[in-house]
Amino acid sequence: MAEHPHAPRSPRQVRDPASLLAEARPRADADAKLSGRTRYPTDRIEAGQLHAAILGSPLPHARILSVDASAAAGLPGVHAVVTAADIPGPALFGLRHVDRPALCGDRVRCIGDPIAAVAADTPEIARAALAAIRLRLEPLQVIDDALAALAPGATALHGRSNLLHQVAHRRADAAQWAAAEAACTHVVEAVYESPRQMHVCLETEGGVAEPDGAGGLVLWWGCQNPERDRQVIAAMLGLPPGRVRVVGSPVGGSYGAKDELTVQPIAALLAWKSGRAVRLHLSRPASTDLGVKRHPMRIRMRSGCDGDGRLRFHEVDILADTGAYATHGPEVLDAAAEHAVGPYDWPALSIHARLAYTNNGIAGAFRGFGAVQVQWALEQQIDRLARACGIDPLAFRQRNLSAPDAPGPLGQQVVASDGPRLALAQIARHPLWIERACNPRCDDRHRWGLGLALVHRSDGFGRGGPNGGRLALALAPDGQIELRVSLTEMGQSLPEAIRALAARHLGCAETDVRPVIGDSALAPDTGAAAASRSTTLVHRALECEGRAWIDSLTEAAAARLRTPASSLRFGPGGWSDADGRPVLGLAQLAADLVGPLPSRVIAVPPEETPSAVPGAHWVFGACAALARVRIDTWTGALRVERLVIASALGPVISPMGLLGQMEGGALMGQGLVTTEHLDMREARYLARNLDGYQVPLLADAPQIELWAIEDLMPDDPVGPRGAGEIAVNIAAPAIVNAVSAAVGMPVDRLPIAPDDILDALERHP
Amino acid sequence: MTPASLIEVDFTLNGQPARVRCEPTRRLLSVLREDLGLTGAKPACGIGRCGACLVWMDGKPVNACLLMACRLQGRSIETIESVGQTEQSAPVREALARAGGVQCGYCGPGLVMMLTHLYRQQPRPDAREASAQLCGQLCRCTGYGGLQRAVDLLFAD
Repeated sequence: MAEHPHAPRSPRQVRDPASLLAEARPRADADAKLSGRTRYPTDRIEAGQLHAAILGSPLPHARILSVDASAAAGLPGVHAVVTAADIPGPALFGLRHVDRPALCGDRVRCIGDPIAAVAADTPEIARAALAAIRLRLEPLQVIDDALAALAPGATALHGRSNLLHQVAHRRADAAQWAAAEAACTHVVEAVYESPRQMHVCLETEGGVAEPDGAGGLVLWWGCQNPERDRQVIAAMLGLPPGRVRVVGSPVGGSYGAKDELTVQPIAALLAWKSGRAVRLHLSRPASTDLGVKRHPMRIRMRSGCDGDGRLRFHEVDILADTGAYATHGPEVLDAAAEHAVGPYDWPALSIHARLAYTNNGIAGAFRGFGAVQVQWALEQQIDRLARACGIDPLAFRQRNLSAPDAPGPLGQQVVASDGPRLALAQIARHPLWIERACNPRCDDRHRWGLGLALVHRSDGFGRGGPNGGRLALALAPDGQIELRVSLTEMGQSLPEAIRALAARHLGCAETDVRPVIGDSALAPDTGAAAASRSTTLVHRALECEGRAWIDSLTEAAAARLRTPASSLRFGPGGWSDADGRPVLGLAQLAADLVGPLPSRVIAVPPEETPSAVPGAHWVFGACAALARVRIDTWTGALRVERLVIASALGPVISPMGLLGQMEGGALMGQGLVTTEHLDMREARYLARNLDGYQVPLLADAPQIELWAIEDLMPDDPVGPRGAGEIAVNIAAPAIVNAVSAAVGMPVDRLPIAPDDILDALERHP
Repeated sequence: MTPASLIEVDFTLNGQPARVRCEPTRRLLSVLREDLGLTGAKPACGIGRCGACLVWMDGKPVNACLLMACRLQGRSIETIESVGQTEQSAPVREALARAGGVQCGYCGPGLVMMLTHLYRQQPRPDAREASAQLCGQLCRCTGYGGLQRAVDLLFAD
């Protein structure tokens, strides 16, 4: 095909919604889950376990003057009371910034910050013991706003300043900038506020920590990175990592919430001190207090285009609130800064982003990761500029796309991609777009609006992050090919992706493959199941070394059959001869081999942008979407009727997995726009359960239609892009733009409350 | 807690007689999970908002996190451990699995209990009514696409 790679093109390989559905096969674990047989870590309830309870800080910011646990420790039925003084190793943990105490020793920095914990025979005794702990706190100035946190004289939560991280990028010198501004006919400026969204995993944080009887500890606890959890816990207990085992799968929902440890160290400490199995399962209110949230951000954007609708400059200032501890905060900020650029070509660009410590809970990883917050703001800017120019929003975006081989958002080298172009082209041919003039606009009571959005988003961690990973292939005694990863299954269909990828790369049947997941004792360190990286990582590992490993099995099969390897063909179930007759099954080979069965650890090297831009990404996927909303002008109620998504993520590995990730992510993005903000006042949560914090229900779900574009650039070196997050990224801006179109109001703050809509209607009836 | 404040209740659990001795306000969900080892019903909110702990009492759906032990005397409780094994829930489980109604699966047992209840009602509700009855079932993974497809399959006119 002699097509010029830069020429705009239409997608060729597109899975339409009907074919995706037709090919979607049930998950292997579906019936076990649906009939209640799946045992989650929090279901490991057994006689003889102790019950844990945690004493959290009643104040959002205070100095700890004293903790007297002697009376609690003396209560009958209490087996262990722990405070910071009981931690044998390092008391602080953190993904990259080590600043979060497993138990606070001298100071608490957010509401519920753990101070002490108890393990007792019953939950009642544990609670009574907590009540018997005498705590003296000296209140400190409460920092409940990111701007106030950075003001001179503000009490520093850590070190000397509340500025945890900042990023500055600039393209264009002063003269170029002035020229860019001067060329603009239209300039739009707004300050956008993105809310504190909560993950609401249905399974709250919990599990069991128990001594293994051999001087070590086993932790059954849902997480995204068992290997990391065991390293943190082993260090905290002063043990070699090999003495701690973490089984982190299956997980009852995570979405980033369980990427970082929360209270696992406390459970481990209690088990270690008491020498008994300890169970801890947070109530929803406790989970609200202790879990991370999506970073609230205040984003000022000032952007301009010329009279022809060409973007000229983009100025972004981001202030993000990371709360009391860093966790993933710096990387979230890096992602926000990078994605504030979008897939657009800005001749002049200035981005400044700051991340402040406050006493407002803890913000961390959340599906969509930093990009979600800025993308709806950016897509509002783009829509506003298009409207100012009188150009339709699709043509406006097409006109301003970066070239497929252009540098990435921060000027870094990236994998070439025309995903944004293809996704827009797919949307352009959708009836909802073509017939937009015929869409209903209003009736006596309602108004409708159509919103378009385009996003690209990164795969993997940014440059300098833990991007490598190891996994293992092994022939099991029963003849199954095991693919062993320490990644966990959280609902994202990891086992399905592994089976499909293994069958594709190894040439076996999916039924020949047994995924072994989520157990630090059974797999090498694969890293985190996060950042949309799992599928791509497994794909790369198998692409590099899968065939070679199968060839080594074929050698063994040939030796066993006393025939040259070249005469054997490997396929589903095992080997056949030149005539296609089966001659040796995998199970037979496994049974016949003497000594250890063949296995191979595959190390996938980190693949990062070669450009020296810290945190910048190398690979991007893209999505475009159309949302249609209906506004009730009497009540201000907002109903998302339809969401059409065109994804450009490369080959579809698991149609069911893709569909599920896209539909689920989209509704999560919708929640950000419609209801989800966990408000705080004076650093205390105004809601701690699902009565005050509302997530979308079935009745709120729109009709979602997914068109999956499989085209990649010629010689694309990556293959499938992760699909775990991008639907959150695309749904929010599409819905925001639809509301804006329906009501004719700029949207500057999420979620959009009915009152906001009624106010806008009153101003502009 | 003195033993005097404990009560003893007899009820039927999944067709078998059961007896528990506990505080009168102890929730059925704790009785099932902690005392009787039935972990199919899941705790997720504790206030009756999410439906993850849904069971049947005398054939009607109830959130086990709200139901106190003092109300159990003489009642019949059925849980996913029994209903999930029987033919009556088979069409529901199959529809959810085929339609993509399960991901992390934590909401699954409650969903199956609610959907099976609706499915065996006479007359059977239509898809619209059935959807409306699912307002107390929260799923955070799927975006309800699979659930809606399952409902459409099960409650087609």
